[in-house]
Amino acid sequence: MTAALVERTLALLGAVLVGGTAAVQLKNELPVHGLDAHVAKVLLGLMILGCVLAILAALHVLGG
Amino acid sequence: MAVSALNATHEAVDARYNDVDPVYAQTRDIRLTGFVLALGADCVLFSSFIFAYLYLRTSAPAWPPFVDGHQLPRLDTSFAALNSIVLFGSGVTMHYALENWKHLKKAAFNGWLIATIVLGALFLLGQAHEYLSAAMTWQGSSFGASFFTLTGMHGFHVFIGVIYLITLFIQANRGVYTGSKYFGLTAGTLYWHFVDVIWVFLFFLFYLW
Amino acid sequence: MHAATTVHADHVHDHIHPAPEGFIRKYVFSTDHKVIAFQYFFVGLFFLFISGSFALLIRLQLFDPAGKFLSFDTYDSMFTMHGTVGVWLVVIPLVTGALGNFIMPLQIGARDVAFPWLNMLSFWLFPVAGLILFSSFFFMTPHAGWTEYPPISLSYGVGTALWCAAIICIGISSTLTGLNFTMTVVKLRAPGMTWTRMPLFTWATFATALVNMIATVALSAALLALFLAVVFNVPFFDPARGGAPVLYQHMFWFYSHPAVYIFILPAFGVISEVLPTFTRRPIFGYKVIAFSSLAIAILGFAVWAHHMFPSGISPWLQLPFMIITYAIGVPTGLKVFSWLATLWGGRIRFTTSMLYALGFLIAFTFGGITGIFLAAVPADLHEHGSYFVVGHFHYVVAGGAVLGFLAAVTYWFPKATGRMLNERLGKLGFWLFMIGLTGTFLPMHWLGLEGMPRRYASYTYFAATHPDAVFWNRVETFSAFFMAASIALLTINVVWSLWRGRVAGRNPWGARTLEWTIDSPPPYYNFKKIPIVFGRPYDYTEPLPYQNLDHDVDPYPAPTAASFPLPAPAGAG
Repeated sequence: MTAALVERTLALLGAVLVGGTAAVQLKNELPVHGLDAHVAKVLLGLMILGCVLAILAALHVLGG
Repeated sequence: MAVSALNATHEAVDARYNDVDPVYAQTRDIRLTGFVLALGADCVLFSSFIFAYLYLRTSAPAWPPFVDGHQLPRLDTSFAALNSIVLFGSGVTMHYALENWKHLKKAAFNGWLIATIVLGALFLLGQAHEYLSAAMTWQGSSFGASFFTLTGMHGFHVFIGVIYLITLFIQANRGVYTGSKYFGLTAGTLYWHFVDVIWVFLFFLFYLW
Repeated sequence: MHAATTVHADHVHDHIHPAPEGFIRKYVFSTDHKVIAFQYFFVGLFFLFISGSFALLIRLQLFDPAGKFLSFDTYDSMFTMHGTVGVWLVVIPLVTGALGNFIMPLQIGARDVAFPWLNMLSFWLFPVAGLILFSSFFFMTPHAGWTEYPPISLSYGVGTALWCAAIICIGISSTLTGLNFTMTVVKLRAPGMTWTRMPLFTWATFATALVNMIATVALSAALLALFLAVVFNVPFFDPARGGAPVLYQHMFWFYSHPAVYIFILPAFGVISEVLPTFTRRPIFGYKVIAFSSLAIAILGFAVWAHHMFPSGISPWLQLPFMIITYAIGVPTGLKVFSWLATLWGGRIRFTTSMLYALGFLIAFTFGGITGIFLAAVPADLHEHGSYFVVGHFHYVVAGGAVLGFLAAVTYWFPKATGRMLNERLGKLGFWLFMIGLTGTFLPMHWLGLEGMPRRYASYTYFAATHPDAVFWNRVETFSAFFMAASIALLTINVVWSLWRGRVAGRNPWGARTLEWTIDSPPPYYNFKKIPIVFGRPYDYTEPLPYQNLDHDVDPYPAPTAASFPLPAPAGAG
C-alpha cells in the first residue's frame, strides 16, 4: 500500500466524482445566455478535460 | 430616422438583467466584458512562458535534462493528480456557491464558498509539498527554471484567488450583494475557473507529457 | 422626437456626474480622460526632452571617430536610455495616452472612457516607471541597448533589473489602457454610430488598443524572465544549464514588433483626419483604411523574427517571416495610396498641421520602403546591426510617429485649449524638423550599407577605411540640433499660446467629426446631450450627419476667421 497507490486511487475516485458533477453542471448551464455563462461553460468543459487527464494519469495511461 | 439604426450600437446585453435595471445591465455588461478581456490578457502571460518551456524542452538533447552528469527524474504524477482533483473540486464547489447565491440560499452559499477556499488552500499546501520534494532546483536546469516559474506564477494566481474569495465571503455576508446584483461573485467564479483551467494545461505539460 | 427620447432613456451614460472639486481631484487625481490626456502630454514631453538630450549626446560623441566626448561605458548607457525612454516613456504614452485619451471619447460621442479610474491608474504608473528607470543612474544604468539581450544584459545585473522593473510597470499601464480603449470603442459609441460610421482616428485607436492589450503582456513575460535570470539566476537564457539566449529574442520581439504598430497606427489615424479637413474632400477609401488598420494589427503579430534573421534561426523560419513581412507592406501601401487619392483634385490649405501630415507621407513612405529592403533575408544579413537599420527605424518613428503626433498636436490644440497655436512658429518648427530629420537620418542609410556598425562608441576603423564617414557623421550631428530646435519651438509655441493664443472657437478648421461640435475646451461632461449619428463624417457635399447636438452648428462647417492668416478657401465668409 504505497503512498503512490493511495494517491492514485483517491485521484481516480475524486476525478470521477468531480468530473461527473461538473458535467451535470455544464449540462444545466447549456441553455443559459450571457457572456459570463458562455465563458463558464468553456472553462467547465476544459476542467472536465482536466479530470479526464487525471483519470488517465491515475491509470498509468499517461505520465511517468 | 429608424430606431433600428439608432439601436445598432447597443450590443445585446444579458437579457437576464433587463428587468433589474437597464442602467445596471449595461454597466455590468461593460465590467464583465472588461474582466473577460483581462483574463484573456492573463492567458497571454501564461502562454508566453509556456512557449518558453516548449522551446527549451524541444531544443534540449534529453528530457528531463542532465545535471551534474545525472538525469533528473520525472515528476511524481500520482501526487499531482490528486492535487489536481483538489483544485478541480474547488471549481465545482465554487459553481455550487454561485448557484446557491442566485437562488438566495445564503447558508448553502457560505458553505460551498468556504469549501472552495479550503480546497484552494489545500492545493497550495500540496504545491508546497511538491516544491520541497522536487529533485531539481530553480537555478539548476531549464527544467527547474520552467517548472518553478510557471507553477509559481500559477500558485501566485491561486493565492490571490484565495484572498479574493475570502474578501467575497466577507462582502457577501455584509450585504454588499443582492439576489440580482452580485457582479463580484460572478467575476470571482470566472477567475477561479480560469485558474483551474491554467492548471489543466500545466498538469498536462509538466506531468503527463 | 419620440425616438430620440427613447434612446436618451436607454443610454446608461446619459446622466452627468457632478463636477469634480478641489485642485487635487481636478488636476492631480482626475478620472477625466481630457485631464489625463494633458498629464500624459506634459510628462511625455518632459521625457522627450530627456530622450532627445541623450540623442544629442550620442551625436556629439560621434562627431569624432575616436569618441572622446563620453566614456564608452557612458555611451552604452546613453543609447540604451535614449531608446528605452523614447519607445516606452515618449512615443507610446504620447500617441496612446495623450492623443487616444483626449480625442477618441470625443469622436465617439462618449462622456469618458469605459473605466475612468483604471485610466487614472494607467497614467500614474507612467511617472512611477520613469522614476524607477532613472533611479538606475544612482545604482547602475542598463547598458545593453533598448533590447537588453542576454547574455550581455546579464553582466549589468542591477541596471538590467531596474530596467525590467520600470518597463514592466509602464507595460501594465499600457495593457490597462489597451483594455480601456477597446471597451470604450466597443461599448460606448453614440447611438447610431455603427462601426463603419466611426471616424478613422477612432478606428486607428481601436486597432492600437487591441495590439496594446495583447502584445504588452508578452513583453512583461519576457522582461519577467530576464528579471528572474538576473536577480535569481534562473537559467532561461544560459546555455550551460539548458537555456537559450535566442529564446529571449523570440519573447522580446513577439511584443516589440507589434509595438511599432502601436507607434504608427494612431499616426495613420491622425493623417486620415487631417487630410480631408485641409483638402475639404472626403477621405478616399474609408473602408480600406479602416480595415487595413485591423489587418496591420493582426499581421503585426506574425512578423517578429525579422528582427532575428542573423541570430542563427533556421532558414525554414526565416522564409515565412520574410514573406509575411513583405505582405504587411500591402495594407500600409493601400493607406498611402488612399491618402494620395484624397489629396488629388483637392484645394490644399497649408496649415502647420497639414504640413506635418504631408511631411509624414514623404518621410514615412521612405522609411517604409527601406523596411522592405530589410525584410529580404539576404540583404538583412548585411544590413542588420548597421546604421541602415537605425536610419530606417528613425524615419518611421521620428518621420512617421512623431510627425503624426505633431500633426495631431497642431490640429487638436485649439479644441483642447480653446486657443490657436502660432502659425508662423509652427511652420518654422516644421521646416526645422524636416531639415533636421533628413540631415540626421538620411546619411545613415549609405553609411550603414557601407558597413558602419550601430551602437559603437567609436568608429576609427570605419573612418579610416571610408573617407567620407566623418563628414556624414558630422552632418548628422549638426542636423540633430535642428530637430532639437524644432521641439524647443513647439514647446514655446504651446506654452505661449496657452496664455496668449487667439481664441479658437468651436471649429476653427471647419472639420466634421463630433469633437468639433462642442465647445473648445470641452466641458468636463463633453456632451450635455449624447448626439445621434446617422452617417460617416467625411463627405463635404452632405450636411453634418448628426442630430441632438448641444449647440446649433452649421451643417456645412467652414474654416473660421480664427484659422487665419490662412487664405480663406473659396466660399468661406
